[in-house]
Amino acid sequence: MFTDEQLVEASLDGSAGAFDEIVGRYQERLLRFLLTRSSSRADAEDAVQDTFINAYRYLASYDSRWRFSTWIYRIAIRNAARQRRPEWHDSDVELVDDSDPLKECMAHSERENVWLAAKRLLSNDSYDAMWLRYVEDLSVKEISSALEKSASWTKVTLLRGRRKLSTELAGTTTAAEQRQSYGRI
Amino acid sequence: MDEFEKRLKRDADAILAEASPELRARIHASLQSTSQVRPAGKKAETAPANLWWASSLTGLAAAIMVIVLINWNRADSVPVPAETIADVTVPADPDPLLTAPMLDIRTADFTSPLEDELVKLQSDIEKARESVKKDLDFTF
Repeated sequence: MFTDEQLVEASLDGSAGAFDEIVGRYQERLLRFLLTRSSSRADAEDAVQDTFINAYRYLASYDSRWRFSTWIYRIAIRNAARQRRPEWHDSDVELVDDSDPLKECMAHSERENVWLAAKRLLSNDSYDAMWLRYVEDLSVKEISSALEKSASWTKVTLLRGRRKLSTELAGTTTAAEQRQSYGRI
Repeated sequence: MDEFEKRLKRDADAILAEASPELRARIHASLQSTSQVRPAGKKAETAPANLWWASSLTGLAAAIMVIVLINWNRADSVPVPAETIADVTVPADPDPLLTAPMLDIRTADFTSPLEDELVKLQSDIEKARESVKKDLDFTF
């Protein structure tokens, strides 16, 4: 099993299959992340495609001192930020909640998905930092590199994001417990 | 990993994000038509190791040229006046020395008036002492 960095080396040496392997490893991870950041599934898929094209084109500029996931997520975040914002920001048309691609993609569950709450409560940068830390298991240093922020900013943002979400989840749990207890009564 | 982190991970996995065959085909087709950008000219920037002497000689020649040009221009632009050296070391005309006025040199005598005054005072004291002595003789 080759590491991402070895696959990058092989791709730079001309191996056609090496980058296909990278695509296979990252397409669903990136799509999952970009679905939570884009206004529609089509936008998220476009962003995934653009991310792989940019990564392939500028593969020679990848610095192997960093993990490949750090580099490709940085590209993905830039692509997501470049995307057109939802139309409801420019017009009076209200965004219907059901059109959120994140909601559409959630597995049916009785409780709210914590990432929906995160999207509602946190800024984009804060959301990205939380995702990279707790889903992609990147270190603080790698997150600060991916987001092009300082390490101290990343630490503070992670702490605040975690606190905010914990408070929200604690409130939700309490409300659910109260409903259950009322039902029993 | 605490319960909160587990929940974040679990909920992320709950997001259905299977890439469709169409998306895979699109990505594959895009990559086929994309070429990698290689940073150009990195090797050309550094001279081959066996040509180090060429750059050294070029630098040396350039330094010599600069020194020559500076000196050349300085000789042209700043004319140095020719030095004039006297043939004789004594004045040609001795008359000014011979016709110089002869000075009458005398020592200044600033102390004689004071000495005269001192003698007068001593004689006055002597006279006074004798006068006192006569008066004492008359008294006793």
